[in-house]
Amino acid sequence: MSLMPAWLLFATIALVFWGITGVTQKLSTNRISSQLSCFWWAWAMVAISAGLAFTVPIQWHLRPFILALSILSGVLNGLGALTSFAALESGGKASVVISLISLYPLLTVAIAVLFLHERLTPFQDLGAVMAIVAAILLSIEAPSATASPESQSGR
Amino acid sequence: MLAGMPAWLAYSLVTILLWGAWGAVFKVASSGVDANTNQIFFTVGLLPLMLVLFPAARHGAVGPQRRAGIAWAFVTGILGGAGNIAFFRALGSGGKVSIVAPATALFPIVTVMLAVTFLRERISKQQIIGFALALVAIYLLSM
Repeated sequence: MSLMPAWLLFATIALVFWGITGVTQKLSTNRISSQLSCFWWAWAMVAISAGLAFTVPIQWHLRPFILALSILSGVLNGLGALTSFAALESGGKASVVISLISLYPLLTVAIAVLFLHERLTPFQDLGAVMAIVAAILLSIEAPSATASPESQSGR
Repeated sequence: MLAGMPAWLAYSLVTILLWGAWGAVFKVASSGVDANTNQIFFTVGLLPLMLVLFPAARHGAVGPQRRAGIAWAFVTGILGGAGNIAFFRALGSGGKVSIVAPATALFPIVTVMLAVTFLRERISKQQIIGFALALVAIYLLSM
């Protein structure tokens, strides 16, 4: 571990933590509603932000436009979190739902092209096509697939 | 939800729309603010949602299932937020965004491994191919 560069260690932590959240989301919605799950997910975000506010320097004076965008990003991400909890609550498998919703950069790239006038790289062109095919395939449920009670919405 | 579409799929597609828009907004916002500050104002944006959800959060039977569900939801938020901080620390400690962003975007690998192992989920052959394609697509789109 000591030979691992710091950035690789942090990137691995991000990968693993984000990956685990897909399962903890499912474990939550198996027991409580998506609304209650999202409410407490948001409380955790409040706790993290409170921790940051007291431990790291914060730019309290932002340009109004940037401030508005930062807050808007919270609104959009929070609503997305709510619908992702709802997807899991309504019977979606964590393995499928998380893989599917992870394709959201497809839309980000599309918005960036349309409104921010960015150009796609050839790799992103290929990625966009593969993302659409992947989304279609991920949405095809196996009729005979069975799962343990924990993988179902068990409320 | 949408006609003929399973609810989980419709909610997933709405999530892609919301997070896709979030990604674009975040992209612009992050040009004028550091990651820690953004996390704080991002949380301010969650407050209206929390107010809307508060009535629903008060209802429901009290018991060990509810407590466990709340604990898992809270853990989801802590791990998600800590993952965000780790992501920005990776960028701040020498990691190139062209490597860190696509590599960390592959987190569904971890979810699928855990879901198959611990939740005993089974997925169709088409979904397995879709998962593999999604990983490549996420990687390419993040480059």
